[in-house]
Amino acid sequence: MLEFLVNWAANVPITAIPYALAALGLIISEKSGVLNLTAEGLMLVGALAGIGSYLTLAGHPAVALLVGVMAASVVSVLFATLVVVLRVNQVIAGLSVVFFCQGLTGLIGNVAHWQNKPIAGLGKLTFWPLSEIPVIGRILFVQDAVVYIAILIFLGVHLTFRYSIVGLNLRAVGENPAAADAAGAHVSLYRFGAVVVGSSLVGLAGAYISIVSVKLWVTGMVGGRGWIAVALVVFARWAPWPALAGALLFGCIEEVVPRIAAAGIRVPQYLVLMTPYLATIAVMVWVGARQRGALGEPGALGLPHVREERR
Amino acid sequence: MLDPGAMAGQEKSPPARGPPRRRFGRLTLDMRQRLSPWKQSGFLAGSLVIGLALSLGVLALAGIAPRTLAEELAGTLNADSLRAVLVQAAPLILVGLGASLAFRIGFWNLGLEGQMIFGGIAATGVSLYAVGPVSMRLIIMGLAAAAGGLLWVLLAISLKIRFRVNEIIATLLLNYVATYFLFHLLYGAWQDSKTAFPQSTPLRPFERLPDIAPGINSGLAIAIAMVVLAGWLVHLSRVGFYMRFLSANPGMAKVLGVPIQAVTIGAVAASGAAAGLSGFINIAGQEGRLTQSFFNGYVFSGVLIAFLSRNDPVIVTIVGFLVAVLYVTGQTLQVFYQIPFTMVQLIQAIIVIAVASSEFFIRHRISWTH
Repeated sequence: MLEFLVNWAANVPITAIPYALAALGLIISEKSGVLNLTAEGLMLVGALAGIGSYLTLAGHPAVALLVGVMAASVVSVLFATLVVVLRVNQVIAGLSVVFFCQGLTGLIGNVAHWQNKPIAGLGKLTFWPLSEIPVIGRILFVQDAVVYIAILIFLGVHLTFRYSIVGLNLRAVGENPAAADAAGAHVSLYRFGAVVVGSSLVGLAGAYISIVSVKLWVTGMVGGRGWIAVALVVFARWAPWPALAGALLFGCIEEVVPRIAAAGIRVPQYLVLMTPYLATIAVMVWVGARQRGALGEPGALGLPHVREERR
Repeated sequence: MLDPGAMAGQEKSPPARGPPRRRFGRLTLDMRQRLSPWKQSGFLAGSLVIGLALSLGVLALAGIAPRTLAEELAGTLNADSLRAVLVQAAPLILVGLGASLAFRIGFWNLGLEGQMIFGGIAATGVSLYAVGPVSMRLIIMGLAAAAGGLLWVLLAISLKIRFRVNEIIATLLLNYVATYFLFHLLYGAWQDSKTAFPQSTPLRPFERLPDIAPGINSGLAIAIAMVVLAGWLVHLSRVGFYMRFLSANPGMAKVLGVPIQAVTIGAVAASGAAAGLSGFINIAGQEGRLTQSFFNGYVFSGVLIAFLSRNDPVIVTIVGFLVAVLYVTGQTLQVFYQIPFTMVQLIQAIIVIAVASSEFFIRHRISWTH
């Protein structure tokens, strides 16, 4: 039983990290007031770019992850231009970018023949002798590098939001752009930057899926994880640490399901695959039922800012 | 990128040390009071041309030279492909109609695929369990499909009303749930035992949509009938007036006694029913059985059709036909040039992005001043 639990807990980060990084990226973007639905698409871009660079370049996992990050940032410039500069409806723009990315990655993966090619990917780090500690050793000290980097990223974003002038301005821009503008913050610049920086983390989440956890590319392999990340942001009330906790919760749920099946308990295969989506909906219901007042979203979420314009 | 710092409103507070030196001049942006419909259509047409040109570029990169494409398109200008377009248009018009009815009152129904799936499942269930007399079977299947789509969307809207669950997330996630439920049936209880493919047993001949013309099934007639019904509802009836009122000013509508809840739920339910019918048409028309992919890609097509037609049921029909042309061309390219069907999705996204961007230029005047 202990073996089962340790094995389970040690595998949770592999499932949780994509959710955590994508949700954090979306939080950065949405704190600035830009409703960001692009995660599903940008994760696909990150995943495909990662695999593509892994297969065509030297096969360095670190390079592949970095290429995934950059590719998602580049595509996010399109979204940022649409919503920040051209003030397109943020839902329409987000959906279009998702479907744009789905189409593009499906096409490129197919034309370049990157489909179903297994790779070695990124291995695990072992912090000897800490890894030999019973129970927690295998859970905490035998993970891949991205897990530890992700925790540092969360810490960095938390500190930036809370203690830096950039974080303060970013939050101000999202809560009340007119006031932030009057106080001297460059609303459009902050929003543009927040979208691109946030999307780089979404790209990392995507590249993590293809390079570290699945280790190959299949069309549409993100499979709704981007939408779950969008839901996680609501669950976390737009705060970094709760997002990490939520991601770990989802990791636990998703990792326990195949283990139950492997333990010999017969469950219908396709009904089991529904679990992450049903769990997400259940969590959203819980959030809505628990909170009577506002859900805690930034005040100007989804609204374009136009200086001195009546609305 | 425009320099947003140089946008309107800088002139009012001149800096103390005289005007700043500007080497390149600057962009000024102001709202247009009005723009003639001709110029509006000009911008729209221009953006469509840009979108199509970009799509041609992508196709060229994927290995289809514009000339090959032109020859292919000219080659498909025959009765067969015209029939294919008419058949394909019916489900597209219905999902477009579904999307536009929900978008009209500000409900982002992105669960059109899930509603199509449950429409298809309900219709197939009626066939498998032989519900009702033979002469009424097709009608019962259609009604069951509409009910299936309707119930699936009611789940999403009750989550929204009761628990404030964002409908964008709820409907999208419910698509995945519906897909896996379909797989559960097709790889399990409903699998065709003869072929062992993940499909149901074929529908019986009297359970298929009859042809209204050689090669064109009556799905198109159903779609057109629904368009007429929705057109009357939206443009002429009291409910349509309520829907416009509701989306223009919900607070005022509430104060003046518009039954907001009823209108909202009604519009969303109609949206789900239309999507369910669309699934029925695909099952009982083209496919002839429940398959695992009869709904693929329809969510975004629905969004695109509703967006381009500005949620007007009549224009939905026109845009639906155009998207059907795109689908049929995509299928041809897939068969003869191994271009994956995701190309169609990519082209649709490019067109939406181009047209959405053009609205900025319709609303704003941009001038270059020194």
